[in-house]
Amino acid sequence: MTRYLVTGPTAYAGHQPGEEFTATLDPGAERRALERGNIEIVKKAKPKQEEESDA
Amino acid sequence: MPKRIALKDSVSVDSVDLSDFARSVALASSHARVDVSGFNPTGVNEYLAGPTDQSVTVEFFGSYGTGEVHATLYPIHAGREIVPFAWRPDQTTPASTDNPELRGNVQLLDYSPGATRGDAETFSAEFVAADENGLAYFTTPGP
Repeated sequence: MTRYLVTGPTAYAGHQPGEEFTATLDPGAERRALERGNIEIVKKAKPKQEEESDA
Repeated sequence: MPKRIALKDSVSVDSVDLSDFARSVALASSHARVDVSGFNPTGVNEYLAGPTDQSVTVEFFGSYGTGEVHATLYPIHAGREIVPFAWRPDQTTPASTDNPELRGNVQLLDYSPGATRGDAETFSAEFVAADENGLAYFTTPGP
């Protein structure tokens, strides 16, 4: 899962501006939210294969 | 829930909380009236409910800041995107039996902001149900 920071002036997905949250967003929803400035990525999710090899 | 004055409604489009930029919401949900009348002694028509047409219209204040109304709606319209929509009466509490949330995936087929000198800029946006699940009320919080 990816960690996001809500950067815009409005709440995003129930999270207030300035709040961090962890989620697996639909790629289209993530792209639109990043382009609009609603959110920033704090920590990108590792690719699935990498996550599995870490385990 | 008793009678209410609409003050605390929650309106979100594509997961963006646009409540503060919206001042009215109206759902339209109608089943087509299909005439299945045959010959009968009274001459009264007989109907069945046909396909369902659903949309929800929101009146927004025009706002052009980062992550606000224009920044949210225009890309959805221009890109023909299908996005989640949600509306519930009380934003201070999650969806429940007395605070049902209307949810569904929608498209914004028309986008027509405008302005009049001296007036607050407002415009209506009609979100049309975009998949077979339509727009439906839920009494539990969304994903």
